[in-house]
Amino acid sequence: MVTLTRKSNIMATTESIQKAYIDFVLTEGTQPKSVYVFAKQNEMAEEEFYKFFGSFDAVEQSVWADLTHKTLAEIRKQEIWPQYSAREKALSFFYSFFELLKSNRSFAVYSIKKQRGFGTPKLLEPTKELFESFAEGILNEGIETSELSDRKFFSKRYKDALWVQFGFVLNFWINDDSAGFEKTDEAIEKGVNVTFDLFQRSPIDNLFEYGKFLAKNGGLKEKMGF
Amino acid sequence: MSDNTAKEQNSIPTSKVERSAKFVKTGFKIGGNYIKHYSKKLFNPEMDKSELNEDNATDIYQSLSELKGSALKVAQMLSMDKNLLPQAYVDKFTQSQYNAPPLSGPLIVQTFKKYFGKEPGQIYDKFNIRSTNAASIGQVHQAELKGKKLAIKIQYPGVGDSISSDLKLIKPFAFRMLGMSEKELNIYMMEVEERLLEETDYELEVRRSIEFSEACANLNNVVFPKYYPELSSKRIITMDWLQGKHLREFLATNPSQELRDQIGQALWDFYNFQQHELRAVHADPHPGNFMITPDGKLGVIDFGCIKVMPEDFYYPFFALTSTNLFESKEDTIKAFRKLEMILPNDTPAQIEFYYTMFKQMIGLFAKPYITNEFDFGEKAFFDELFGFGEKVSKMPEFKQARGVKHFIYVNRTNFGLYNILHELKAKVKTDTYKPHVEAVGT
Repeated sequence: MVTLTRKSNIMATTESIQKAYIDFVLTEGTQPKSVYVFAKQNEMAEEEFYKFFGSFDAVEQSVWADLTHKTLAEIRKQEIWPQYSAREKALSFFYSFFELLKSNRSFAVYSIKKQRGFGTPKLLEPTKELFESFAEGILNEGIETSELSDRKFFSKRYKDALWVQFGFVLNFWINDDSAGFEKTDEAIEKGVNVTFDLFQRSPIDNLFEYGKFLAKNGGLKEKMGF
Repeated sequence: MSDNTAKEQNSIPTSKVERSAKFVKTGFKIGGNYIKHYSKKLFNPEMDKSELNEDNATDIYQSLSELKGSALKVAQMLSMDKNLLPQAYVDKFTQSQYNAPPLSGPLIVQTFKKYFGKEPGQIYDKFNIRSTNAASIGQVHQAELKGKKLAIKIQYPGVGDSISSDLKLIKPFAFRMLGMSEKELNIYMMEVEERLLEETDYELEVRRSIEFSEACANLNNVVFPKYYPELSSKRIITMDWLQGKHLREFLATNPSQELRDQIGQALWDFYNFQQHELRAVHADPHPGNFMITPDGKLGVIDFGCIKVMPEDFYYPFFALTSTNLFESKEDTIKAFRKLEMILPNDTPAQIEFYYTMFKQMIGLFAKPYITNEFDFGEKAFFDELFGFGEKVSKMPEFKQARGVKHFIYVNRTNFGLYNILHELKAKVKTDTYKPHVEAVGT
């Protein structure tokens, strides 16, 4: 009993800080000047804030990570989930994530737009970890069922390709002004499918195999009359 | 390397640039086909254009089938106008009426979540995530609810958006293929765009389907699926699953003349009841929109495309087909003027020319209406019809726009109907629902 109440208390506070923070940045368009100011505004002690988060950036990170958690929980709950192929599981993640993100669109736009430079923004790092472990899981599944092609060196990089795809769709969505973000749906459908087409066995594999065969069976140059 | 075997549609070009590239490529190929044709013709002057048309049709179809969406729809539309297109195009385009690549399962789930906040599995007792049919701007899934078999139509995302840009892309093609003038083509394209955009509104389609199936409920041997507005939305339609065969499958079973007549009669009644009693018509008579049920009835499954006929078109037009108006040259010309088939600036010679041609054309079109019964299996009638179409298409006088825009869909509907009846080789009583002509002359 006691632990339960305490736990729900903690949850509530994590959430309430997230909420207050989102409200602040969306109204002011910038981060609060200091934790002190922010805490005072929300009638709590500064140290209370540090119990949950080390910094404002950590709050933002947690908002993104929570969304990812929620998405993962939601898609795995679907009745149809076990029947999905790896490709469909990835698609399902993308669709559900951006559906959830819709209710936080203003925050997402604010949060992404203030990022500069290349590579994974700091605030998406925890999200990336979650995403990658999910991606690795479904990709390995796909390789086991030979839905996807197991290539030396490359198959370990598949998850990176998916993460790049994720970043691409996220940026696309930020700039999408179509009704109901239908264009994002299209971007997901087409983008993820192309990526998985590349993961599958393709003529390139066959070409590679053929090259290997010729190399192993030597005398290639001599036989061709050079 | 890759030859001309049927290409699988496993990729859809995304951006407009990519789509344009697709068309440009096809354009080159067609240019090549013409060169091939004329070089062959140098050696064999007897050669007719059908091989050339066949080559062009294959290339255009391949390009269109990779584009999907509205381009596919236009392909379907072109395939309806057999009177406008050489046979080779028609055969290729008819393929597009049956196949298009499917949407992924998660996108279907996503569409349901977006519009109902639930997964399909939570709405229906059973839902088959793999689609059974393509519907050109959407696809059809089987489902079950409370022991009833249902058909769920789901629209591809972004179809509405791409319609206008697709039509712009297809313009130079249509231009080339149909040999129309720019002005005529613009009228055509605008009317088509309007209808296509309507077709993307599934809420409208459900409303109309219910209206039309109720209005047509008393027709013999015509059946409609029941629609479920509460399980439908902008992108999803839920209706009863109609058991039956498509026209081609039905014909493959060698049905008896009696059965063919029965289906033909149902089709005739369905269309003429709408035209003359409802003044609005299911304007998409391509074979994929009909099912023939096991008990020999005609099932109508798609009300996406409805053409409303305004009075100022309806009365002058059907006065031409169903009165003795033709006996008076003066009155006929008056009617032609109302329908913009003869224009204010025409010279007396032009008036004479168009008067003769249009009279002949409408006389042909109205033939089934003149007698009480008409045998659509009669090849002579269709040869005459196509022959006339071919002749007209070669006349420079017909390169410019003639006739009000309503002709586009009304012609498409009626010629589409004639074509299906011809394929059925049905003998039909044509006096069941006659045109109304009372108001003429007022």
